[in-house]
Amino acid sequence: MSSDIILVIVVGTALAFDFTNGFHDTANVVATSISTGAARPQVAIAMASLLNFAGAFISISVAATVANDVVNADVITPTIVFAGLIGAIAWNLITWSFGLPSSSSHALIGGVVGSAVAAAGFDAVIADGLVGKVLIPALIAPVLAFAVAGLSIGLIYRVVGKQKPGTVTRGFKYGQVVSGGLLALAHGTNDAQKTMGVITLALIANGSLGAGSDPPLWVIASAATAIALGTYSGGWRIIKTTGTRIIKMDAAQGFSSQGAGAAVILASTHFGFPLSTTHVINGGIMGAGAAKRFSAVRWGVAGNIVFAWVLTLPAAAAIGALAYGLTRIFGTGALGPVVVTIASLSLIVAVFARRAERGAPVAASSG
Amino acid sequence: MIATLVEGKELLETVGASAVAGISVTFVFSVAIWGVARFVDLSRNERPLAAGAAALVACLALLATAAIVLVGIIVMTSK
Repeated sequence: MSSDIILVIVVGTALAFDFTNGFHDTANVVATSISTGAARPQVAIAMASLLNFAGAFISISVAATVANDVVNADVITPTIVFAGLIGAIAWNLITWSFGLPSSSSHALIGGVVGSAVAAAGFDAVIADGLVGKVLIPALIAPVLAFAVAGLSIGLIYRVVGKQKPGTVTRGFKYGQVVSGGLLALAHGTNDAQKTMGVITLALIANGSLGAGSDPPLWVIASAATAIALGTYSGGWRIIKTTGTRIIKMDAAQGFSSQGAGAAVILASTHFGFPLSTTHVINGGIMGAGAAKRFSAVRWGVAGNIVFAWVLTLPAAAAIGALAYGLTRIFGTGALGPVVVTIASLSLIVAVFARRAERGAPVAASSG
Repeated sequence: MIATLVEGKELLETVGASAVAGISVTFVFSVAIWGVARFVDLSRNERPLAAGAAALVACLALLATAAIVLVGIIVMTSK
């Protein structure tokens, strides 16, 4: 009974994380389309939301990696998964409050790894999987997106450079509707699957599924719905950072950065690499900007983003470990997760209330 | 060690597929826009034959873009 209560809390927390993931990452998907004027904000966000939902059903390779290749399922308990999720959600909200587009994916993996290490030591971590499927792709992906976007924009300017800017800009704005849609679909395929993976991991840990199982349909459908709703609700604060503060983009740059981002994410999803879509799209934006004019990129802002990236895994791991420690104060039953859930919700409500009191935008300016 | 090698191969394939897909779509789509821009210019200059050729290039490039996107999605999301 107690383990079932914990499982229900874990599934609820995972879906809440998925919601914050969509909420937090809306900016990555739609910022370039909005900043170049290719799409109106509400239309871009609604489209991104629908395509995130659809994308979640396309593949389960990333979910399999998260469920089976990062931490050792034999030593994982639903409480460890719960604490990891708390670490990820807390880090997402902290970076959101500073307007920093950090990685929800790395927050999730960091949180789960941190709580697993706190519970069972370093043996709980599958080092090969963590390094080969998470850390190395995490380093390669943004550089790859940077290079692909840079080369693409170079080609674009060579092909259409001598044509009248009006027709070219209009053409790339239409193109951005497609490239933005592809990016949203890619986001759904990769990011929604991380939550599916975590829920599957909890189900395996609880004995509800066998080791190595794929996510059941209800897990896929609920993760898809949560990320789509989050995407529809979120994003303005980080849209501003991503869409205008890194570089001022033209439509061709927006198209090449979104195309590069979608290509990198879809290819990575195919091989089950749980990428950070935030890293990839920001890499693409910087590549498209730097290829045109190196100084066009506001490297100071880019540096802050890189700082948040670097900090995400260890910070989420530390919060995950702390959450696990807090949970265990109340024993191994359901009381710990219940108390930590209530405490976390109270803290979130307090933070939002304080922001509202100070007149800072809350709902419509999230991210 | 074997796992690392396999992942290394998969990473290389990811790099290759991303580069080919990202750059080819951008290139082909920019050819389509070039075709449209030329079509507009040539039509204004009353050169219907050349304008028609530019429109044909634009249409073919648009079709190619759509084909690359579709094939890319199907290949990359199937295992």
